[in-house]
Amino acid sequence: MKYILMMTGKKSDFDKYAEWSKEDLQANVAFMRAFSKELKDSGVFVSTEGLGWPSQARLVRAGKDGEPVTDGVFPESKEFLAGYWIIDVESPEQAYKIAARVSQAPGARAQPANMPIEVRPVLSGHADLGL
Amino acid sequence: MKYILLMSATAAGVEGYRTRPKQDIEAHMAILHRISKDLSESGEFVATQGLVGPKEAKVVRGEKNGVPVTDGIFPEAKEFLLGYWIVDVPNPERAYAIAGRISAASSNIPIEVRQFATYESASR
Repeated sequence: MKYILMMTGKKSDFDKYAEWSKEDLQANVAFMRAFSKELKDSGVFVSTEGLGWPSQARLVRAGKDGEPVTDGVFPESKEFLAGYWIIDVESPEQAYKIAARVSQAPGARAQPANMPIEVRPVLSGHADLGL
Repeated sequence: MKYILLMSATAAGVEGYRTRPKQDIEAHMAILHRISKDLSESGEFVATQGLVGPKEAKVVRGEKNGVPVTDGIFPEAKEFLLGYWIVDVPNPERAYAIAGRISAASSNIPIEVRQFATYESASR
């Protein structure tokens, strides 16, 4: 069963992240690299990606002529995806356990950040939607 | 340049979609398949994935001892990721054009477009 683990944050959270000391950022990146390696070594890794800053995010709608209409203004409460991991595991419990591990990635002043991680099954096909 | 196109909606929005006639949903899926096929043919396709509905979403935090603490209660305003497309395109305008096409095919739902992080941008 494939699950996606999503790390999200508001713009204010990203602003705080940008203020971390260089050592804290390096420790966080080192943890994330070791975490991905663990997933690969244990055979559950499918993919991972990190996203650019919220300031670069645009919301796109199609105009009447089908041309893209872009907007870069978001409410303060907007949760931006920071990055994700897709894993292939035996049970939801295993997915939750792995999510808890990444939730403990070191944050500011080397303390575990305890970031909430959203966990969802991914679709193997549109039939999974039960429509 | 790699961009991710994110389609999101509230739980109420997803429920509304599920009440649509089956033919409408099938027609919508057919257009999305067509867009993926076009992106593959133009060499811009990297990946796409759909997610299972909000009812199965859980938020997990690690406790001090590493035990996962799960929670499945979300505010009504919470926007759930429904699916994404990753495209490799020469400029942001092309990413916006593809997002516009997906939006037009999907009742003008807004599509969030973001570039991927690089280690340089992460340490800026």
